[in-house]
Amino acid sequence: MSVLATSRNRWGEYLLGKLFFFCAFISVITTVTVIAILAVETFGFFQEVSVSEFLFGTEWRPLLHPKAYGILPLLAGTMLIVVGSSLVALPIGLACAVYLSEYASEKARNIIKPVLEVLAGIPTVVYGYFALTFVTPVIRGMFESTQVFNAASAAIVVGIMVLPMVASLCDDALRSVPASLREGAYSLGATSFEVSARIVLPAALSGIFAAFVLAVSRAIGETMAVTLAAGATPNLTLNPLESIQTMTAYIVQVSLGDTPSGTLTYKTLFAVASLLFGITLLMNLLANHVMRKYQEVYE
Amino acid sequence: MTLANDNPANQQAAAAARLKRRHLVSWAFEKACLTLTLSAVVVLGILLWQVFSDGIHWLDLQFLQSFPSRFVEKAGVKSALYGTLWLVSLTALISLPIGVLGAIYLEEYAPTSRLTRIIEINIANLAGVPSIVYGILGLAIFVRFMGLERSVLAGAMTMSLLILPVIVISAKEAIRAVPSSIRLAAFAVGATQWQVVRAHVLPEALPGILTGVILALSRAIGETAPLIMIGALTYVAFIPEGPMDEFTALPIQIFNWTSRPQAEFHELAAAGIIVLLAVLLTMNAVAVYIRYRGTRR
Amino acid sequence: MNQVNSTILETRDVYIKYAGEAAVKGVTLPIYEKKITAIIGPSGCGKSTLLRSLNRMNDFIDMVTQEGEILYRGTDLYAPEVDPVEARLRIGMVFQRPNPFPKSIYRNVAWGPTINGLEGDMNLRVERALKQAALWEEVKDRLDDSALNLSGGQQQRLCIARALAMEPEVILMDEPCSALDPVSTARIEDLLFELKENYTIVIVTHNMQQASRVSDYTAFMESGILIEYGDTEQVFTRPAQKRTEEYVTGRFG
Repeated sequence: MSVLATSRNRWGEYLLGKLFFFCAFISVITTVTVIAILAVETFGFFQEVSVSEFLFGTEWRPLLHPKAYGILPLLAGTMLIVVGSSLVALPIGLACAVYLSEYASEKARNIIKPVLEVLAGIPTVVYGYFALTFVTPVIRGMFESTQVFNAASAAIVVGIMVLPMVASLCDDALRSVPASLREGAYSLGATSFEVSARIVLPAALSGIFAAFVLAVSRAIGETMAVTLAAGATPNLTLNPLESIQTMTAYIVQVSLGDTPSGTLTYKTLFAVASLLFGITLLMNLLANHVMRKYQEVYE
Repeated sequence: MTLANDNPANQQAAAAARLKRRHLVSWAFEKACLTLTLSAVVVLGILLWQVFSDGIHWLDLQFLQSFPSRFVEKAGVKSALYGTLWLVSLTALISLPIGVLGAIYLEEYAPTSRLTRIIEINIANLAGVPSIVYGILGLAIFVRFMGLERSVLAGAMTMSLLILPVIVISAKEAIRAVPSSIRLAAFAVGATQWQVVRAHVLPEALPGILTGVILALSRAIGETAPLIMIGALTYVAFIPEGPMDEFTALPIQIFNWTSRPQAEFHELAAAGIIVLLAVLLTMNAVAVYIRYRGTRR
Repeated sequence: MNQVNSTILETRDVYIKYAGEAAVKGVTLPIYEKKITAIIGPSGCGKSTLLRSLNRMNDFIDMVTQEGEILYRGTDLYAPEVDPVEARLRIGMVFQRPNPFPKSIYRNVAWGPTINGLEGDMNLRVERALKQAALWEEVKDRLDDSALNLSGGQQQRLCIARALAMEPEVILMDEPCSALDPVSTARIEDLLFELKENYTIVIVTHNMQQASRVSDYTAFMESGILIEYGDTEQVFTRPAQKRTEEYVTGRFG
């Protein structure tokens, strides 16, 4: 080996390899930097605010006196969006996937897939506009008590936004179920519903689960639609017709003002972002882990 | 049912009724799935209709050639449009080489080691990090720590980090689709790793890579939250002339107009959205064309 | 009852086309009750396509069109008033590769009878099917284990048991041993002899020894055409057609 390797100058090759490695490694640097920044500033935040006040306080009022730093209203707002958007995205997304993988002809697929891709490609700010100018008036027409900014409107458009992702990931999961299982079930006198609901869906369950987790994670991190449509009122409520504030919308609200670094308000950004990052990271890790597992099953 | 059966007649009737019910359930299930699927198509239709009916009458040359203004009639997207073009060009310059080289490393060079696995998992998870977190990273590192202020460069670097995972993942897929027989044949005649990649793998994978890059860039074009984080939401009535200039961008301008209470500004936002969608449509058309050219060969 | 050579299934001048291209051309073939009929021929000769048409499994493939009649006890299986689901209750199928559901052994066998609402004691039914498939002794203590943990040969016998649990009249087998080792193959061949007491079996195989060992009647197909059909012994020892002779003596295929 050594005789061959030293026979010619391979420094160029060696350096190229190192350069390529560095490019791939940038992703790790990014993650480490994110975690480091969030950790440092959050640590600073907890020098001034106690952990228990942050986690269990029921009032979030960092910009007005008297100040309060309880994250629960922001968490509750985020949860309202998550639940509402899941009610839209999960059943419809799964139904789309079942239709695409079990029923649709090649022709129908060629129409529906691009429509879903377009829905997925529309910028989130456009969904915010849609929520404010279309969905909110519709909801207010139905429920008079609805506030101009409300969680329901934002939740619905966030649901529409993540629907294509649910549909496409569930479609992948259903299609990874071997056709031979379907044939086996049909040969036993099953109807197409029995094949889909009792054989294919259970066999694809882990993939569907991963898709749902990723969708929820996306909904938690969604920013623009909730900023535009859900309002900026930290509000510990379960009523979707009221104005609320999510974690992401708070971060936007603060950064819209010119907040000098080092202040406590600046540090709240990082405390909230840490929580946001932690929650979504855990969910993504879980989903990616489950997905790798199910991809191994039928290979 | 007309098939012969040796069961008594009433048992046969019960079985037939049962079968009929099962078929009914199956039919209803299929139609329900179809209806829900079509509802997604309908929603897209409503959304586009809403945007176009609101905004189309504001869309004229004056709108494209004017800077933002307090007066609805004088307002336009000139600085935002140029800002977006600046942003996407710089983002492409930064993210394309890094993303593609990173993908080459992972597919062609990386040993099967713990570190490689960590990088792979890390990239998969970075793709799911909320964009606003990248905004915070950009604010802390590029804007404040590196002192780039609210420049196009700071925005482009933030966007690059945001779309790198997407580029790496799609470029990896494109590279993996190149048959390994090509590599083996090249290695067999004594080519080095880099020669194999440059002469055989990259040309084969190029259409797939470019398609992925364009789709990632169109995601960057529509992203708003990270730009707000780094402070791009300001009144900008000029076109950036260098990477260190301040800028605004289309989604920022749309956000600005949408968040105002007056209905006229909402219509301006709709007009801005049409421009944004037109830019996205153009990029997607290019991607589809490249994909088509690539598969035809 | 006239058990000797009563026809249960019959194809009459059947053509099957994939996207316009004929895979089966004008096949007329009787299937006799409680006998084993083997369909042999080189790969791509249309034998699997023909087999799948016998319980309407080709319905699921777009672009398949079919002409001619397939009679099951005198009724055309493809007549508009015939429900394919019910046809498959009477005519079961075992596939080339074992395809157990990712469920327990018990639930694999019980699945068909459950969804079809077949009456009687389910435990008994499962036990009987597993015994008929010569699998009972190996799995009786672990019926709740996942079927995916069984060996390939066991999985295929489980799939046979799954079909038997429906108590069909006809069982179609599409090269059921092609993915199995010789020992498992021998076990399944033994099984076929026992099953023929109660069931009509149609088996597609490209293994000529297997066809000659297990079947009562043999059909030889080539390029979608039924070249020869007859008593297995006659087809293998005194074939009427030259092509048949060349094939069974291993000169091509």
